[in-house]
Amino acid sequence: MNRPFGKCQMRVNGAETPFAAAPGRRLSEVLREDLGLTGTKVGCDAGDCGACTVLLDGAAVCACLTPSVRADGAEVVTVEGLGALVPRLQRSFLRHGAAQCGICTPGMLVAAAGLLRGTPAPDRAEVEEALGGVLCRCTGYAKIVDAVCDSAFEADPGEASPGPAAGAAVGARLERLDGGPKVTGAEMYGADHLPEGALEVRAIRSPHHAARFALGDVAAWAAAAPAPVHVFTAADIPGENLFGTIPVFVDQPALAEAHVRQRGEAVAIVVGETAALDALDFAAFPVTWQPEEAVTDLSAPLPDLHAGRPGNELIRGVVRCGDAIMALAGAAHVAEVTVDTAYVEHAYIEPEAGTAWIDGDTLVIRACTQAPVMDRDETAKVLGLPAERVRVIPAATGGGFGAKLDLSLQPLIGLAALKTGRPCRMVYSRAESMASTTKRHPARMTGRIGCDTAGRVTGMTFDGDFNTGAYASWGPTVAVRVPVHASGPYRMEHYHAVARAMHTNGPAAGAFRGFGVPQAALVQETLFDDLARAAGIDRLEFRLRNALVDGDRTVCGQRPGGIGIRDCLVALSVAWNRALAEAAAFNEAQGVVRRGVGVASCWYGCGNTGLPNPSTVRVGITAAGRLVLHQGAMDIGQGANTVVAQLCADALGLPVGQVSLVDGDTAKTPDCGKTSASRQTYVTGKAAMLAGRALRGTILAMSNMGEDAALSLEGDVLRVHDGRGSRDIRLADLPVDAHGYVLAAEETYDPPTVGLDADGQGEPYAVYGYGAQMAEVEVDTALGTVKVRRMTAAHDLGRVVNPLLAEGQVEGGIAQGLGMALMEEYVPGRTENLHDYLIPTFGDMPEIRSIFVEKPDPEGPMGVKGLGEHVLIPTAPAILNAIRHATGARITRLPALPHRVLAAIRAAR
Amino acid sequence: MKPVAFDYQRPASVEDAVALLQAHGRSAKLLSGGQSLGPMLNMRLVRPEVVIDLNDLLELDYVREAADVIEIGALTRHHRLATAPEILRALPLLAYAAATIGHFAIRQRGTIGGSLVHADPAAQLPLVAVTLAAEIVLRSAAGTRSIPAADFLQNVMTVDLNEDEMVVAIRFPKPSAAKAGWGMRLFSRRRGDFAIVSAAVWLRRNPDGRLADMRLGLGGVAPVPFRLHDLEDPDDEGAPGESWASDLAGQAAQRVEPEDAPGLPAVYRRELACNLLRGALTDALSLAGERHG
Ligand SMILES: Cc1cc2nc3c(=O)[nH]c(=O)nc-3n(C[C@H](O)[C@H](O)[C@H](O)COP(=O)(O)OP(=O)(O)OC[C@H]3O[C@@H](n4cnc5c(N)ncnc54)[C@H](O)[C@@H]3O)c2cc1C
Ligand code: FES
Ligand code: FES
Repeated sequence: MNRPFGKCQMRVNGAETPFAAAPGRRLSEVLREDLGLTGTKVGCDAGDCGACTVLLDGAAVCACLTPSVRADGAEVVTVEGLGALVPRLQRSFLRHGAAQCGICTPGMLVAAAGLLRGTPAPDRAEVEEALGGVLCRCTGYAKIVDAVCDSAFEADPGEASPGPAAGAAVGARLERLDGGPKVTGAEMYGADHLPEGALEVRAIRSPHHAARFALGDVAAWAAAAPAPVHVFTAADIPGENLFGTIPVFVDQPALAEAHVRQRGEAVAIVVGETAALDALDFAAFPVTWQPEEAVTDLSAPLPDLHAGRPGNELIRGVVRCGDAIMALAGAAHVAEVTVDTAYVEHAYIEPEAGTAWIDGDTLVIRACTQAPVMDRDETAKVLGLPAERVRVIPAATGGGFGAKLDLSLQPLIGLAALKTGRPCRMVYSRAESMASTTKRHPARMTGRIGCDTAGRVTGMTFDGDFNTGAYASWGPTVAVRVPVHASGPYRMEHYHAVARAMHTNGPAAGAFRGFGVPQAALVQETLFDDLARAAGIDRLEFRLRNALVDGDRTVCGQRPGGIGIRDCLVALSVAWNRALAEAAAFNEAQGVVRRGVGVASCWYGCGNTGLPNPSTVRVGITAAGRLVLHQGAMDIGQGANTVVAQLCADALGLPVGQVSLVDGDTAKTPDCGKTSASRQTYVTGKAAMLAGRALRGTILAMSNMGEDAALSLEGDVLRVHDGRGSRDIRLADLPVDAHGYVLAAEETYDPPTVGLDADGQGEPYAVYGYGAQMAEVEVDTALGTVKVRRMTAAHDLGRVVNPLLAEGQVEGGIAQGLGMALMEEYVPGRTENLHDYLIPTFGDMPEIRSIFVEKPDPEGPMGVKGLGEHVLIPTAPAILNAIRHATGARITRLPALPHRVLAAIRAAR
Repeated sequence: MKPVAFDYQRPASVEDAVALLQAHGRSAKLLSGGQSLGPMLNMRLVRPEVVIDLNDLLELDYVREAADVIEIGALTRHHRLATAPEILRALPLLAYAAATIGHFAIRQRGTIGGSLVHADPAAQLPLVAVTLAAEIVLRSAAGTRSIPAADFLQNVMTVDLNEDEMVVAIRFPKPSAAKAGWGMRLFSRRRGDFAIVSAAVWLRRNPDGRLADMRLGLGGVAPVPFRLHDLEDPDDEGAPGESWASDLAGQAAQRVEPEDAPGLPAVYRRELACNLLRGALTDALSLAGERHG
């Protein structure tokens, strides 16, 4: 009575394709693993993220919830087949900058294709409805909607637009250079590469926040598998079983030994053929847990988690100038607030994934990352190998936002490959990724600020505890950065700020866009609204009066050049007055829904705080005339590949379209440090500019031409010409260097900084970026819900290298800031999926207007400042200030969930 | 994670399906849209020995209109519920509810039968089934029985379904369309997410404006959605006045005893119930025609 279904057949992207459909096998698995169609992504296996969306008989469905048998006899379209179906759509995504990291792009494209078949020219609402089940963590969605709406008007594919001319790359609205594979589905992320004969690696993780444990008869458990499987534990680790991010704070075991300090900590890995692992019952893995008293927040004291960190204080950062207590005592108005924030999950759509294999005597690791060289060094140490015997090839990375700076699976797959000699692959599940990787620090911060009757700030104190969880990760960076930035970009002669990173049994908190500064900004910006009200001054005007200008000292005693905060605030003023008037008019109706407007600023130092963080860039030309840029700054979607190439090309004087990129493979490319601290455009960009300039110098010297000569690269001839004459360099005639180039330059740049003294005085950063954002919100005073209607974001980039990508950063940063303000709260053990942990989706996003201010930085390349993290800092405080303006509710606990907003509204009445 | 190994059956008829159920009993799981079962299988929250896939039973994918009832096959997808002309005309509340479920891809696969059996306390279709007094039609090898939705839904994710039974249809009595109105309000933290609390209202007015008939349902404030029978009797005072909706919603809120949930205090849940019901009442009344007849 059953139809046999062992052999099935579907029409995939137009081709009849037989496949074996075992019971329980999902369509997403068959497509990816059996048919090699890895363009279909998997972000959750639960219907929550939509990354796996395919068309099944014309309708968009989640392939992760579709049994493969259901595709028998059906027509399936994946991203790989869209070129034929909706050729303009992919081009439109590129031209609009709708793909950043690209991991959500296949799902977005397929869902859009399903819509466009019946509705070729959809409106925004139709697009949001059709794509609403696909999550994106990078773009803020607006560019995706634009791309779908405009796709009908896209030029014919094949009509390539000529790129910017030599010298005109910087400032051009250039689509990303590495975008092509992101829209065709060809991009290879960590999970997409499956070497022949690879074994699968799965981890056994702690279900407890803290526990002692003992392993039982592991061999007997493993014997139940139909094929041999290996189990490796801490005892198998050949090197030092600790990794970390900052040498003196290294404290995290790759596999725990007898004791776990947080939920999700790995205690063993199981390695074997996929089928063998699938047959095992991981819930029955023989380990006995003795749970211990655990505290995951700052509410209660806890026995010391680590030796040498008494009271669980990992580190404290201090910045002190003048006498803040005296200044507050003498102030005309003083305001005080205590703000609590939640754990925030990075929630990139790509869970950690990668492969490891042995190549001769080298262990090769190809995985998602934001820091290939640190991955190599830390993994080598854990595995007891010299660094030269580990090679890290960065996989395309589906979002990082800070959490992929830390090691995750690298030592585990490395260990598996070393021990078995086989290639090994590991793909984290969503729950595993959420439980075991780092988070944004929850903070409890108290601030006081005073001002005089004219609204001039006289002094500020700030005291914050940052829950850094069980391990150090980037806790020290947060503790050091926060006091430097907690003043905001404002003049404060008298200032005393302390931030402590405190251990708990919560998940290790690490780097997340802004390193604690987005939390700290909530305090200062809330208090500025209090003070403006007390002093009877317009809130924007209050900020203008106190904004830093060139020549002012920061709280660290530094006098940076090119301070652009005033310009940003001024840029908002027209919109500010319009929005205030509109809100007042709207509120006259005295309805249940009220509107409000809020503003907040940011500043952010680019690069490491008072510590070296060099980047080295090599650029070369081959005998055949290929211009190659070794660009080691990991592009996790933010656009480093494109902007670094733009800066290099213009310095060299060749069109950016001629640049070929070599990524951060540690065997091929010099170290460009980490993709963190908004440093890549500035630091690596400057190294690239210097390298481009040096290569140009070599070429001009060879051809004996002046500075104003123009270059052109035509085949294997490099032509140098000026108004008077022209000289050809025949590249094939030149000797080839060790790296394979006939002409090359390599330059290193390290930001000039001065370390901080005990009072936090020094020159922590060589370059700062500035910004101010204005939020317009609507609050339902009966339900407590908040709808952000519009964000106007003015950012000083020094020099806009690429407006398209910069807008993408602003829109994506605002999306994350909005999530932090209104909905995101990670609760260990309770929100380890994407339906209990909510990130903003299409319907949550406001209209966003970006305004770019260009106040050149004297140090940055061509005046450039960083941007990546700045964009998120003012969003949440601007939204909170707008809620306050609308309703009087002063929100002091994030996220501003509806019931909290309602309670605050009532408290204010 | 991946599902545990199981045997997989694709019956070609309802007879075959119930025969399989009879043979396998508790160790079997029926699969319809897979939009709830899929995640649970993937996470190994359920570990069946046999999965019986109902998706070949096209005979269960139908909307059939008779004089006083609309019968809907268990395998009818949410998308069809939201767009079928018969439903839009006769049961607009059901069509609206279906259109608000999850997002596009979920509605392409998810079915009414699966949703009722899954019995999530916050789900839309169980709420509408209870509010509109639908009957659930169950089949086993032994025969057919039918049971009111309110009795079928017993507790959180628990229904009155024997291990050899399956849902084959849901029967909605066809309410009179004259001077009828409906309203449904849902509260979720993000569009496309499961509602936290929801309210559904159907009512009919007499030509003089007075209420002739009314049904009030609330979801997300108890283990199962329920009707507020004792508030449904139209009072004789005449046509509903200015404060009718608020008064009624306020009384309803007094009758619910929600529980505290993480990040969602019970008091807030009650407040939502009051608010949403007021909105749904107002919507229904205005659809049913002018306030004062
Ligand atoms: C991201 C996401 C968002 C969602 N949002 C919502 C939402 O907002 N509101 C909402 O209501 N739902 C939501 N859902 C759930 C969705 O509506 C499901 O479709 C529904 O709950 C189950 O229907 P199904 O056909 O998919 O059933 P299945 O998943 O196939 O089965 C569900 C259960 O019912 C049993 N079953 C199925 N058919 C029968 C039958 N004929 N007889 C007896 N037992 C049967 C199965 O054995 C299983 O136990 C969402 C799902 C996802 C993945
Ligand atoms: S992987 Fe299918 S929805 Fe996330
Ligand atoms: S581009 Fe959408 S998730 Fe990265």
